[in-house]
Amino acid sequence: MSFFGFGQSADIEIVLDGTENRKMAEIKSEDGKKERHFLYYDGETVSGKVNVTLKKPGSKLEHQGIKIEFVGQIELYYDRGNHHEFTSLVKELARPGELMQNTLYAFEFLNVEKPFESYTGSNVRLRYFLRVTIVRRLSDVVKEEDIIVHTLSSYPDMNNSIKMEVGIEDCLHIEFEYNKSKYHLKDVIVGKIYFLLVRIKIKNMEIAIIKRETTGSGPNTFTENETIAKYEIMDGAPVRGESIPIRVFLAGYDLTPSMRDINKKFSVRYYLNLVLMDDEDRRYFKQQEITLWRKGEKTRKNLQTSATSPQLPPLMTGGTESFIPAQNHTSDPKNPTGTIEDMKRDMDEEEHSSNLTVPAVGDASSTNLTADGMDE
Amino acid sequence: MPMTPQLSPVEDQEKLLGEALGVVKTQALQMKMCLDRSKLMDGLKHASTMLGELRTSLLSPKSYYELYMAITDELRHLELYLFDEFQKGRKVADLYELVQYAGNIVPRLYLLITVGLVYIKTNTCLKRNLLKDMVEMCRGVQHPLRGLFLRNYLLQCTRNVLPDVAEPEDESEGSVKDSIDFVLMNFAEMNKLWVRMQHQGHSRDRERREREREELRILVGTNLVRLSQLETVNLDKYKKLVLPGILEQVVSCRDAIAQEYLMECIIQVFPDEFHLQTLHAFLKSCAELQTGVNVKNIIISLIDRLATFSQRADSAVGSAGIPSDVRLFDVFSDQVATIIQSRQDMPPEDIVSLQVSLVNLAHKCYPDRVDYVDKVLLTTVQIFQKMNVDRIEYNTAVSRELTRLMRIPVDNYNNLLTVLQLQHYGPLLDLFDYHGRKNLAAYLVTNALENETLVPTQEQVDAVLTMLSPLIQDQSDQPPGEEDPEDFAEEQSLLGRFIHHLRSDIPDQQYLILSTARKHFGAGGNQRIKYTLPPIVFQAYQLAFKYRTLSNEDEVWEKKCQKIFQFCHQTITALIKAELAELPLRLFLQGAIAVARMEFENHETVAYEFMSQAFSLYEDEISDSKAQLAAITLIVATFEQMSCFSEENHEPLRTQCALAASKLLKKPDQCRGVATCSHLFWSGKNVATKGQEMHEGKRVLECLKKGVRIGNQCMDPSVQVQLFVELLNHYIYFYEKDNNQVTVQMLNQLISKIREELPNLEANEETEQINKHFTNTLEHLRNRLESPESEGLSYDGLIL
Repeated sequence: MSFFGFGQSADIEIVLDGTENRKMAEIKSEDGKKERHFLYYDGETVSGKVNVTLKKPGSKLEHQGIKIEFVGQIELYYDRGNHHEFTSLVKELARPGELMQNTLYAFEFLNVEKPFESYTGSNVRLRYFLRVTIVRRLSDVVKEEDIIVHTLSSYPDMNNSIKMEVGIEDCLHIEFEYNKSKYHLKDVIVGKIYFLLVRIKIKNMEIAIIKRETTGSGPNTFTENETIAKYEIMDGAPVRGESIPIRVFLAGYDLTPSMRDINKKFSVRYYLNLVLMDDEDRRYFKQQEITLWRKGEKTRKNLQTSATSPQLPPLMTGGTESFIPAQNHTSDPKNPTGTIEDMKRDMDEEEHSSNLTVPAVGDASSTNLTADGMDE
Repeated sequence: MPMTPQLSPVEDQEKLLGEALGVVKTQALQMKMCLDRSKLMDGLKHASTMLGELRTSLLSPKSYYELYMAITDELRHLELYLFDEFQKGRKVADLYELVQYAGNIVPRLYLLITVGLVYIKTNTCLKRNLLKDMVEMCRGVQHPLRGLFLRNYLLQCTRNVLPDVAEPEDESEGSVKDSIDFVLMNFAEMNKLWVRMQHQGHSRDRERREREREELRILVGTNLVRLSQLETVNLDKYKKLVLPGILEQVVSCRDAIAQEYLMECIIQVFPDEFHLQTLHAFLKSCAELQTGVNVKNIIISLIDRLATFSQRADSAVGSAGIPSDVRLFDVFSDQVATIIQSRQDMPPEDIVSLQVSLVNLAHKCYPDRVDYVDKVLLTTVQIFQKMNVDRIEYNTAVSRELTRLMRIPVDNYNNLLTVLQLQHYGPLLDLFDYHGRKNLAAYLVTNALENETLVPTQEQVDAVLTMLSPLIQDQSDQPPGEEDPEDFAEEQSLLGRFIHHLRSDIPDQQYLILSTARKHFGAGGNQRIKYTLPPIVFQAYQLAFKYRTLSNEDEVWEKKCQKIFQFCHQTITALIKAELAELPLRLFLQGAIAVARMEFENHETVAYEFMSQAFSLYEDEISDSKAQLAAITLIVATFEQMSCFSEENHEPLRTQCALAASKLLKKPDQCRGVATCSHLFWSGKNVATKGQEMHEGKRVLECLKKGVRIGNQCMDPSVQVQLFVELLNHYIYFYEKDNNQVTVQMLNQLISKIREELPNLEANEETEQINKHFTNTLEHLRNRLESPESEGLSYDGLIL
């Protein structure tokens, strides 16, 4: 703070209240390192003490006032100069004057609103921090302290399963089902793939979790796709009538809740990408958006008991009579949760929403799985 | 040609396997080191990398198996480590979930199973759910080879923890029903994978694929073994749960290789008691199998097993055997019929094979039920009728199978008469062509001979001989051309022996039997009757003797005897018509002797007839001089023995003999014939002499003198001397018999004559023999001279 080593200066320390009982959470910093900070939820009071320590005891520190701010801001990496603060609260700790000795200031932001979740992405970052400023004529003494905010949701009212029949005409026809459309971050995706028609030689099948971060608006929209997880769910070539179980535990992956149009600056969406690869390494895939949400921590207790009894989510395939393969499987179109995808619409959607897909196989207009010979 | 040196497939496999095993070794070592340092997560990572080697598609089933064994061996360390930790109470939170983060499915599922097993072992409450979960998750591996081995691992790991109680105390521990569901599901999935192998790759690799499938089949079969090892699976559960589950999968997989193997597996792994109670279901499924399946083998295998079981049960005291409510034969009979009906493409030989096994079943399980065997024969006849087959060619597959079928009753009963009880044996036999019929006929005859089966009624004889007709008579479908004479002789000799087995203890019955046999054999043609009629004639002679011994009981025995000789006469005449001479001659002579020995009314006339027949045969049919001499010798010998003639009949016969002898063409023959005749006048007997020898010494001497005279006329000195030596012996014979017409002078005369001639003979082998004969004769005389017998016969004056 002091260029030349003369004149008084001070160290600022921000000590939050109740840290012994407060959880910490991890977040990635901009450069990819992991940081740990105290975790707050929306509406929680943020309080604590600011400790100003003079570097040269006995000498006074002149200042134009001391303040503490609670800031929530969105940083777009391509627009470094502009930080968009969606929350900014200020408390004055001291009026302009002189500091003769080390001083302790208490502060409190009562029931402060924290509408969004802390987030570090590839093009955007949303962070909350406390900033203490000792205003001085030449250079202010500033100290920032980050906190992490998690937004909790309650169980969604509507949580239909995702069920769809997709395929490439005369080539591959499958029906897939995921048990829900909205999953919490420690949830398990349970589902199945039912093969109605197989005329290609499939090598394997995997489910990928794709995170799509969209920043900006209008012509300055940036989209970044990141594959969070690749999970092989089938090895080898199935035949008609096979039903393959899906079970993906989400807890192990680095996921955030889905975010839609956060402060009109960015969105983070998640997709399940079902990918089938054939003998000649052509890929056929179908993306399906899922919503991720964060659930309160209380239920974690249940998981503690799972050391003795493993969590066994129900399976969609099988059943007691399942050792005899279902001979006359028919999908039930009346089932409101299931949709038989309109291929046209699906095609359009794929074209503008994905930069990975280049329809390459068969009659493109008849597919709603997307085949891609170039990928990977 | 490719630029890079190509490894042979074998080398290639060895190299790939070697590399994979190398990775396994390294990773296993690191895994164990991590576990020793309690770094579980790192250990799991190495385990996962090791398991990653099982993702390969490059290895042959054999190499993959080796790799699998190496890896699962190492996995046992992980399992033991986890088990220890769990036992010590150091449980790892969410381990079952943790291992499921492995990105690749094959390593993930191996780990899941390994961990799942540890959970089950340490907390039985999880058993039911975990078993269900694991077997279900394995669906993710659809690659046949990898899937088969993965599921095999599941099956191996769980083999000791499958619930085996009917009613569990705690439902979550599972009952045997859960085990059945578990194994059946695993079985169905493995079978599907196994079947799928058949349809992968090029059609030109089919042979290799089938060989590989063959190598892997045991993996599928192990599921059935596991089911059979569940102790609480009783008959009821087997019937309602296990078998229907297996059969449904077997039938629906529609793969011949799988079906054949699995049906065989079912038969072999489950107990016979179960099979007995589930025959309907099993056999019904057999009818639904693919056309390529050799259903025959399956059924035969089952039948053999049950038959053995029933025999074992019979011999073991207190064992259950075949329950009386299981009508084993009927069930099989019906189901086999259904199978034949439903499988139109089944080759006839296979159909017959099925019948063979049915017959075997009947024999082994119901040895007394001849009707069962007959039913099978009837069915077989009907099957051929339906197929419009009326001739089965020799040495075709059908013929061989059918022959097998036909031989079974013969071999099993070892009694021709029991075979006769089979109404449909004959009709089935008629389906064979000439060679087939003849072969079987010979088989039947041989069997009867070996077992000394007697055929005691004329009806049976008629039936048997009808069955044997390919041996007895010419057949309409007989191929032209001569048969191998040796084979033919052998066959016919068999028949000749067999005729002696056509025998009843009741004489009247025996007569009918012989008449019947005569009718059959009489139609045999010239080639056969010389083998077959003589035994009949001899049988008839024997029968006549029998009546003779029964003369006290049977008033009309004489008439019957007369009839028998009439029968013989006719039979022998049949041989004459076949342009045979010596054989009928002998038979007549034999008959004459027989007649002579029994005094029925007018037996003399009959005997005379037989003798005169012999004479006319001699005169009309025998032209070869040697044969003539032999024949006349035989006639003389026969006649010499007979004493039944009155002088009125004896005299002409006697004279006729002498006349015939002297009329022989060659001098030596004449000489010998006449000499032989001399005995007729000495030891011949007739009614007038009351059966005593007639001892007409003068006539004897006349014959001998005539002999010497003829001998003198012989030009060849060697023959002459030989004849003289023979004559000398005749003289000596009669001298010793006390014929006073013969004197020592005569002997001296002959001896000196011989002595005179003998040295002039050329020295050769013949001369040697003559010399020896003469020396022996003299030796005899010398003995007599030196030790005269008490009767007073003396050789006084003999000059040696």
